[in-house]
Amino acid sequence: MTRKLFRLPWRTAQRIGEDVDDELRFHMAMRAEELQSRGLTPEAAIAEATRQFGDLEDARRYLQRMDRGTEAARRRRDYMGELKHDIGYALRKLRSAPAFTITALLTLALGIGATTAIFSVVHGVLMKPLPFPHPEQLVRIWSDNPEAGIRQSAVSPVDLDDWRAQRTAFSDIGGYWYQNGGSGVDMTGEGEPQRLSTSFVEPGFFPALGVQPQIGRLPREDEMHRGGPDRVTVLSYAFWRRQFGGSPSVIGRTLTLGGEPYEVLGVMPRSFAYPDDQVDLYIPYSTIPDDGIPRTRTNHVLDVVARLKPGFSIERGRAEMAAITRRLSEQYPEDKAWTGASVEPLRDVIVGKVRTGLLVLLGAAAFVLLLACANLASLLLARATTRERELAVRSALGAGRGRLVRQLLTESMVLALAGGALGVLLAIAGTRALVILGSTQLPRAAEISLDPAVLLFALALSMLTGLIFGLVPALRATSSDLQTALREGGRGSSGSRGQRMRAGLVVGEVAVAVILVVGAGLMTRSFLGLLKVDLGFRPDHVLVVNYSMGDAHQGTRAQMRGYYTAVLDRVRAVPGVVAVGATKALPFRGSGERNDFLPEGMVLGSSQEAPTAPYVYVSDGYFQALGVPVLAGREFARSDDDRAPFRLVVNEAFAKKYFPGRTAIGRTVTIGTEQIPIIGVVGDIRQESVEEPTEPTIYIHALQNMRSRANLVIRTRGEPLAMARAVQDAIWSVDRDQTITSIFTLQSAVGEAVARPRLLTTLLGLFGVLGLLIGGIGLYGVLAYFVTQRRREIGVRVALGADTARVQGMVVGHGLWLAAAGIVAGLIGAAMLTRFMRSVLYGVGATDPATFAGVAAVLLAVAFLASWIPARRAARVDPLIAMRAE
Amino acid sequence: MTDRALDLLQGTLDVLVLRTLAWGPMHGYAVSRWIHDRTDGAIEIDDAALYKSLHRLEHSGAVDAEWGLSENNRRARYYKLTREGRRQLRSQESAWRRYAEAVSKVLAPA
Repeated sequence: MTRKLFRLPWRTAQRIGEDVDDELRFHMAMRAEELQSRGLTPEAAIAEATRQFGDLEDARRYLQRMDRGTEAARRRRDYMGELKHDIGYALRKLRSAPAFTITALLTLALGIGATTAIFSVVHGVLMKPLPFPHPEQLVRIWSDNPEAGIRQSAVSPVDLDDWRAQRTAFSDIGGYWYQNGGSGVDMTGEGEPQRLSTSFVEPGFFPALGVQPQIGRLPREDEMHRGGPDRVTVLSYAFWRRQFGGSPSVIGRTLTLGGEPYEVLGVMPRSFAYPDDQVDLYIPYSTIPDDGIPRTRTNHVLDVVARLKPGFSIERGRAEMAAITRRLSEQYPEDKAWTGASVEPLRDVIVGKVRTGLLVLLGAAAFVLLLACANLASLLLARATTRERELAVRSALGAGRGRLVRQLLTESMVLALAGGALGVLLAIAGTRALVILGSTQLPRAAEISLDPAVLLFALALSMLTGLIFGLVPALRATSSDLQTALREGGRGSSGSRGQRMRAGLVVGEVAVAVILVVGAGLMTRSFLGLLKVDLGFRPDHVLVVNYSMGDAHQGTRAQMRGYYTAVLDRVRAVPGVVAVGATKALPFRGSGERNDFLPEGMVLGSSQEAPTAPYVYVSDGYFQALGVPVLAGREFARSDDDRAPFRLVVNEAFAKKYFPGRTAIGRTVTIGTEQIPIIGVVGDIRQESVEEPTEPTIYIHALQNMRSRANLVIRTRGEPLAMARAVQDAIWSVDRDQTITSIFTLQSAVGEAVARPRLLTTLLGLFGVLGLLIGGIGLYGVLAYFVTQRRREIGVRVALGADTARVQGMVVGHGLWLAAAGIVAGLIGAAMLTRFMRSVLYGVGATDPATFAGVAAVLLAVAFLASWIPARRAARVDPLIAMRAE
Repeated sequence: MTDRALDLLQGTLDVLVLRTLAWGPMHGYAVSRWIHDRTDGAIEIDDAALYKSLHRLEHSGAVDAEWGLSENNRRARYYKLTREGRRQLRSQESAWRRYAEAVSKVLAPA
């Protein structure tokens, strides 16, 4: 192996040509001499030698070509040999400094692992194409009512028919009605009765998405119209596997759904998880009767997905939808105010909510990695200084600068790749944890995996990392005057320059740490703010049971009323239950049905639209059970049902907006043609989400306007989930066949409502802590080295009578000065970067001064701590020993 | 095929060159002379082919080349067998022997 250090220089192409000519000239000369000795004249000898040789030009070309190949192969061999040597050397070097190696590996593994884990999520959720053919053509469409400030409302099925009929820019437009946990049918006759999550789809749905079933067929257009043979269904892959074990014989079978026979036509492929992965069945929307969801222009219920024709831009689609909705609004009085439509790429709709959060996380992870790089560069710089003598010796023995840089870089690359390998292991665990933590928050979670693209990313990242943290120290270590290093006996001639560079790195590290901690701080403040939001109700000790009334109970109003009240009464009678109410729209799980109304005393101008508000259907005792204060009047009683006069309860926001400064009790609101009195005002509750302020809301007694779906809100004395069984039994004592969609605590629903900010806060907090830790270690390292380098100076000072405080002050001062520079740079950087977080922050500005000031203080404190330890060591320097050591 | 000399196949030439170099490092001209002398001129080697063979063998790693001084003090390119070259020679030699024996058996008067 040693010979590699002294290998012959490689031959150039020109040199090869000369060598070949020299060799051939020698041959000719020898042959000519031989022939001359046999009596030929010199001229004849040369001519004969040339003749005997054969085709000289051809041979020259052949030899040169062959030699160039030989030379290239030798070069490759030398290079590989050196690489092998360098790797072996690097491994020995790293093994001989285990503390350094382990620190470096862990730092790298954390940085690369975190970045790779987040990247795998970003890749699966944001970057992979949606699992539909030509996904870029897919859009979502909504109705807009600009006058009332309503954007992206659901679409009326009647309007949708007109949209489809008038479309030219879209190859198809399809509507569907689906609510996770909300839209379903009961299946009987296949073992236990089950509630199946169902997407009710309009004719254009499957053609727009463009996915063929895995087996069987899709419904024909005539099978999806009212009055047609529309009792057909298509199964989702997951349901098919779960219920029928993936048996193809299911095609053509008849399932009893909602008490009626449906023929199974097909099974969708596994990748088809639309609208989400909870769907069990697809059933024609036409099967929903008018008394279920009326098919009118005013009833906005459908979500709409559409496919643009090839080559048609989304702007083209928007222009067309604007024209169609304008025409319809002129044509139909019910559509008068619905003058527009929103058209957005499907991809943005699916991943839009999580995009900012994920990108912020990816940025934070990258910053952690950058910190790790800076720290390692700093460590390597320190090592390089102590290795100057070794490098000088090798240089004196003939190793060129390029050769030395390559050797040092090999060392960092070996380190980076090993760290990267560990990082990938971390990323595997991290990605799994992220998918679990984010399961309810991440769309397309099933598409997240450490696939080849992610592994390639990790490899590239590791190599880039190795290059970043290895190149600067390598170039620097080999640039100093190595001769001087030799002469000075390896004390290091460039200590001050190295020190300056490390100081610069530390300033950078502190700056990056500041940015990370500011991000974490802002997110934490925002999250704490969210937790402090007054929800308007008491979520503790509440069990929620979500169910849909079976069809058997939906015959007559009396039947429905009897069943509804019987369930309430039986559950109320369960020991340990304090209060029970029911609602169709549970906070954070539903939002009521938006409709027009006219408050008493309001006169509409001719071009003015009536105001709208969400109508929420609730039972008697609902507000008591939920823990919502009744501010004036009373809440609904059992006697306010459909046999009594229609009455309303409104929330405080409603009373304040429409009856400012007066009492709302006794005033009336016109709904349809009826004037309906308000009997109570209740406190505002957060209905849509924790972040969104409460809207003016109208509450209607559930028995006035029956809906089959209900959430029982059960306030319990003890642990609510412990009551689940007793409550279930109470319901089943009324109807043994009642399916139950879900049971959960209200607390968990609230927790889920803030799950996304919580996840973001946790992860950013983690990255912030990592940043502080790595930054602190970096600062400590530089100062510790500073003290070692200045032992002699410190010794002299102590000998001259400087007291400990003064010596400590010098070191701490140096540390704080570095930290201060970094903090200033970091705060400026943070001010520029945090605006990208604005959309994920609640109730706190992106440049919140308190957060910025707090972070500066925290960083200073960490800096002080990191300086204090080396400072104490400095103060203990014994002047005699320090000076003798030289 | 002429009366004067046998034309040589490329592989045959390579094995002859390897065998020659087994005696020790030589320059190209010496290899040519050596083969000529050993075969009493029965095998006349085209010099161009010989040099091609030498450089081909160098490329395949069977021989190493180095500049040195010839017996009359001229700069000459010397070739010597590598370990790989010896290995190739051994295997090709025995293959050649078997082949030559087979051919002589066929040609021998029965």
